[in-house]
Amino acid sequence: MASLVSTKSSPRASTGRRKRPLISNVLAKYIMAVTGIIFGLFVFVHMYGNLKVYTGPEHFNAYALFLRTLFEPLFPYEGFLWVFRIVLLTCLIGHVGCAFLISSRAKKARGAHKRRGLRGFKSFTARTMLVTGIVLLLFIIFHILDLTAGVAVAPEGFQHGSEAGSFAYQNLIASFQRPLASLVYIVAMVILFLHLAHGLWAAVYDFGVTVSEKVRSWIILIAGVFALIVMLGNISIPIAVLTGIIS
Amino acid sequence: MTDIKITYGDDISGNVPEGDPSTAWERRRDDYKLVSPLNRRKFKVIVVGTGLAGAGCAAALGELGYQVSNYTFHDSSRRAHSVAAQGGINAARARKVDNDSIHRFVKDTVKGGDFRGREADAFRLAEESVRVIDHMNGIGAPFAREYGGELTTRSFGGVQVSRTYYTRGQTGQQLQVSAHRALQRQVAAGTVTLHTYSEMLDLIVKDGRAVGIVSRNLRTGEITAETAHAVVLATGGYGNVFHKSTLAKNSNCTAAWRAHRRGAYFASPAYIQFHPTALPISNKFQSKTTLMSESLRNDGRIWVPKKAGDDRPANEVPEDERDYYLERKYPAFANLTPRDIASRAAREQIESGHGVGPLKNSVYLDFRDAKARLGVKVLDERYGNLFEMYQDATGEDPHEVPMRIAPGAHFAMGGLWSDYDQMTSIPGLFVGGEAGWGYHGANRLGANSLLSACVDGWFTLPYSVPNYLADHLGTAPLDVQDAAVQETLREVRDRVQRLVNIKGKTPTDHFHARLGEILYEGCGVSRNEAKLTRAIEQIRELREEFYLDLFVPGTGETYNQELERAGRVEDYLYLAELMCVDALDRKESAGAHFREEYQTEEGEAERNDDEWCFVSAWEEGANGEHIRHAEPLNFEIIKLQTRNYK
Amino acid sequence: MRLTIEVWRQDNPEVEGHFETHLVEGAQEEMSLLELIDYLNDQLVSEGREPIAYDSDCREGICGTCGITVNDDAHGPVKNTPSCRQHLRSFKDGAVLRLEPFRSGAFPVIRDLVVDRSGMDRVLQAGGYISVDAGTAADADSMQIGHGRAEKALDFAACIGCGACISACPNGAANLFAGSLLNHLSTLPQGSTERSKRARAVIAELDESFGPCSVYGECAKVCPAGIPLSAIAAVNRERARALIRTGKDD
Repeated sequence: MASLVSTKSSPRASTGRRKRPLISNVLAKYIMAVTGIIFGLFVFVHMYGNLKVYTGPEHFNAYALFLRTLFEPLFPYEGFLWVFRIVLLTCLIGHVGCAFLISSRAKKARGAHKRRGLRGFKSFTARTMLVTGIVLLLFIIFHILDLTAGVAVAPEGFQHGSEAGSFAYQNLIASFQRPLASLVYIVAMVILFLHLAHGLWAAVYDFGVTVSEKVRSWIILIAGVFALIVMLGNISIPIAVLTGIIS
Repeated sequence: MTDIKITYGDDISGNVPEGDPSTAWERRRDDYKLVSPLNRRKFKVIVVGTGLAGAGCAAALGELGYQVSNYTFHDSSRRAHSVAAQGGINAARARKVDNDSIHRFVKDTVKGGDFRGREADAFRLAEESVRVIDHMNGIGAPFAREYGGELTTRSFGGVQVSRTYYTRGQTGQQLQVSAHRALQRQVAAGTVTLHTYSEMLDLIVKDGRAVGIVSRNLRTGEITAETAHAVVLATGGYGNVFHKSTLAKNSNCTAAWRAHRRGAYFASPAYIQFHPTALPISNKFQSKTTLMSESLRNDGRIWVPKKAGDDRPANEVPEDERDYYLERKYPAFANLTPRDIASRAAREQIESGHGVGPLKNSVYLDFRDAKARLGVKVLDERYGNLFEMYQDATGEDPHEVPMRIAPGAHFAMGGLWSDYDQMTSIPGLFVGGEAGWGYHGANRLGANSLLSACVDGWFTLPYSVPNYLADHLGTAPLDVQDAAVQETLREVRDRVQRLVNIKGKTPTDHFHARLGEILYEGCGVSRNEAKLTRAIEQIRELREEFYLDLFVPGTGETYNQELERAGRVEDYLYLAELMCVDALDRKESAGAHFREEYQTEEGEAERNDDEWCFVSAWEEGANGEHIRHAEPLNFEIIKLQTRNYK
Repeated sequence: MRLTIEVWRQDNPEVEGHFETHLVEGAQEEMSLLELIDYLNDQLVSEGREPIAYDSDCREGICGTCGITVNDDAHGPVKNTPSCRQHLRSFKDGAVLRLEPFRSGAFPVIRDLVVDRSGMDRVLQAGGYISVDAGTAADADSMQIGHGRAEKALDFAACIGCGACISACPNGAANLFAGSLLNHLSTLPQGSTERSKRARAVIAELDESFGPCSVYGECAKVCPAGIPLSAIAAVNRERARALIRTGKDD
C-alpha cells in the first residue's frame, strides 16, 4: 500500500505582477514579425541572386556590380547598398532587442519551474529560436568578414571589387573551396531553415491573422516550403563548389 | 421504537399579494419601498454564493449602487455549479406560433411540480423569463441562433411547446460565465467586494434579524465575521447529501443549514429529484454519478432482462426476453416519461432483481435500434459527445453495447423556506436559486432551474431586498465587537476545533459514503414508513459514530480540505434526518416524493389534496424536536388535477 | 494496477516544496486521475497522515476547477481533456506518474497541487465584460446574429478557465485564455461598442500578470475546451485594431 519511499527538494515558484512595460509584448512581437518578414524576404532574394553563380562568373559578377550601382546617379556608388545595409542593421537591432526582451520576460513569467516534456518538430523550432537566432547572428558576422569585408576569415587572395568590376564569383569559389568554410555555410543554412520555418509561421499569428485550422495547416506548409527553398538553394552552392560542378 | 418528535406549529403565510396571481408580481413591485440612488451606497448587503442566483444578485445590487460583499468558497466566481447545467433555460417568450404563453408556462411548471409550489411564484418566473433571455444575451451569452439570425429554441423535458433556449450542451456554462463577467465588472467598479476561498459557516442573528455571517478563509483557516444590513444566501442545493450525485464534489448545504439552525425554516427537504439518466456506480472508487443528458432518451430504448438475475451480456439477451418496461407501462410517453416516473420505474426493476451491470444497479439504454434506423453518422451527430463522455468514464462503446444508466440524486426542490419576496423566516435573510424552495413544487421541470436562479438573482432580489433595506436607512451594520457577533464567532471556532479534536480513526468520506447509502435506501426514489424510520435510526447512529470516530488530519489554521469536508458532512448528518422526517410526515405521494403506502391500484403516485395541499416548513425545536409549519397553497388559475402520463 | 506516484508536496506558498513518492497498489483502469488521488488520500488519512491537497469540483469537465500536471503534461496524457476525465487506462501497469501543480509564475502554489489562479480573473476585471446593467438589455430577438456567427462566438466562449493553457506555455503567457475572451466578445454585436477599449485594457493586464506569446502552440494542445490556436492571433489583431481606432471605444 501507500508508503513513503524518498523525498527530493525542488525550487519554489516565484510570482508577482509586473509594472506595465514601455514596450508592450504585443508591440515587441509586431516589431519582431515585421523585421522578421523583411529578413525572410531578404534571404530569399539573396538566395535567388546567389543562384546566378550557376550562370557563370561574368553574369554573377555583373549582378554584384549591378547591386553596387543600383539607382545611380540618384545614389552614389554603393549608396543604395549602404541605405539597404542601414535598414537591415536597424531591423537586426530591433529584432534581436525584442527577442531578448521577450525571452527575459518569458523566463520571469514562467517562474522557477521550466516547462518540460516539449515534444515534436514544431516545439523544437519554437524553443530553439533564441539559440538559432544567436548562431545566425554569429554567422552574419562571419559571412560579412568572409565575403564582404574580405578580412580575418576571408579566403586567401580575396579581391575587393570596385566601380570597374566585381570579383564576387572568384571570392565565393575561393571561400567555398575550403571544406571548413563550406561546412559553416551549410550548417548555418540548416539553422536558418529552422529559424525561418517557425518565425514565418509565428509572424502570421503576430499579425493577428485569425484563421481556421485548415488554413493554418496551409500556412505551416507554406512557411516550411519557403524556408526549405531558401535552405536548399543556398546549400547547393558550397556543395557544387566542393564537388567541382562549378569552379 | 425510534423516538421521532414531530410537533405542529402555526400555519405561515407566503405573503403573496391577494387576488389574481397572474398580476401579483406587478402589483407587489408597485408596493415595494424604494431607496434613493444617493442612499444606496450607505447599505451593505452580503451575498453568499456566486452561481447564477448569487452572482446575478450581487452584480445587480452593485449596478444599482449598493455595497455588496460576495462570498464563494471557490477560487473564482466562475466555478459555481450552475456551470454544469446542460440542457437549456426555459422562457415564456412565446414568439413562435406553437401557442405557448405565460399561462401555459405556468401550467406546465405548476402541474409538473404536482401542485406543491406557489402559483404566484410560477407566474413571476414566467413573466421575468422574458427579460432573463434579453439580459443574458446582452451580457454575452451566445445563445444558439437560427440561420435568419433570431434566437432558436427546442422542446425539452416533456413539454409540448418549444421554449427552451440553449447554447449547445453548455447552457449553464455560458450563463454562469456571463454572470461571472458581469460580477467581475462590478468588482472592478468597486461596488462588489469578492471574497474567494471563503466559506460561510454561520449566520449572525441579532434581535431576530439577520445581520451578518461568519466565514472561514479556506486558505488560511482564519475565521472572521462580517456584518451588513441584509444577507442573501444563494448557496445551491443539497443533493450531495446522497454522497453520489450529479452535483459537483464541493456543493454543500452548510450555509443554508446553518441559517436553518439559527431559525430559518427549511421547506420540503424530502423533495429531491432523481435523474433517470445518471451513470451508475460501477466500482467503489467512483466519485460521482455523472449526468448523461436526458436527450439520450429521445432515441435510446430502456430495458432490462425479463428474467431476474440474468447474467448474460446485453447483446446475448434475445429480443423476446427483454422487458422494455417504460414502453410497456406508459405507452403514450414511453421512454420519454418525466424524470420522476422514469426514475421510479428503473428503481423498481433494480429492486426486483432485474438490474444489470457488475453491481446489478442499473438498466440498459440501448441504441441498437436507433443505430439500425438512423445509422451511425446521424447517431453521432446527435449524441457523439455524450457517447464519448460515456466511453471515457466506463470504457464501453455505446455504439456496440447498451449504455447502463441509473437514477442519481440531482436537484433539490426543497430548501430554505421563503415568502413571495424571497425572504426567509428570519427578517433580513433572503434566499435565491436552488438554496431556496420556490417555483418547482415537488418536482422540477427540465430547463427551469437555470431560469429560477436567474429570475431570483437578476430580477427578484434586486427589487425585494431594497424594500427591506428602506426601513433601515440611517442605521449602520452591527458593530463586529457586539456580543452577538462575538458569540457566533466563538461558536464557529469551537465547532471547527471540535471536529479536529475528535481524533478518531475514520476519514470523513467514509461517513459521507455510508450516509449516502442510507439515504438512497431509505429516502430514495420510493419511500415507506418502515424504510424511513430505519433510515432515521441509522442516521442517528452514524452521527454518534461520527462524533466519536472522525479523523481530521492537520489543524484548523491551514488550508485543510479534509476539515472543510468534515464540517459539511456534519451538517448533512442533521439535514438527512430532517429529510427523512419530512418524507415520513408527508402522508401522500407528490412529484418526486413517492410513498409506497400512497399509490393508486396501477402503482401511480397518489396525491392527497384534501389534507396535504401545503408546503411543509420545518423549524428546529429544542432537544431534537422537529416543528412543522404549513403554508397552505391555493390554486386559482391552474386548477388541481392529477398528472397522467399513461 | 500498481503505480508509482511522485507527487509535489508543499505546505503553503511560503515554504519550499518537494516530491514525495508513494507506491499505490490496487488502482484500477476505470479510475480517473482524481479518483486515484482520492484513493491514495484515503490511505494516507487512514494512516493518520495529511492528504494531498488538490482542486476539483464538477468532475464532468466543465467547471475548470481541476488541473494537475502529469508527467509534464498539463491535465494529463490525453490531449484536450481535463484531469477529471483522464483515466488510468492511459497508463501501463507499473507506470510512474509525476503529479505536479499547474506550473507558472502567475500560479503560486497554495498547497500541494492547488495553485492560485486569480490572475485570470484580473484579466476579466480589467475589461473582459460587456457593460450592460440588469434590465437594460435590448430585446434579444431584435439583435440578429447569424447562425454561424453565434456558433463561432461559442467556439471561443467555451473556455472553462482552468489555466492549463498558461501552465502548458513555456513563456507563462495567457494569450489563448485572453484571446478566446476577446474573440468571443468581439464576434457578437452586443460586445462591439466597447471592443477597442476592452482590447487595450485586457491586453495591458496580460503584460502585467503573464508572459509574452511566442506561438509555441502548446496551449491549444492541452485546452479541454478545444479553443483553437487562432485565439492567440486574436489578441494581436484586437490590439492592432484598437491602435488604429485610438481615441475610440468601439
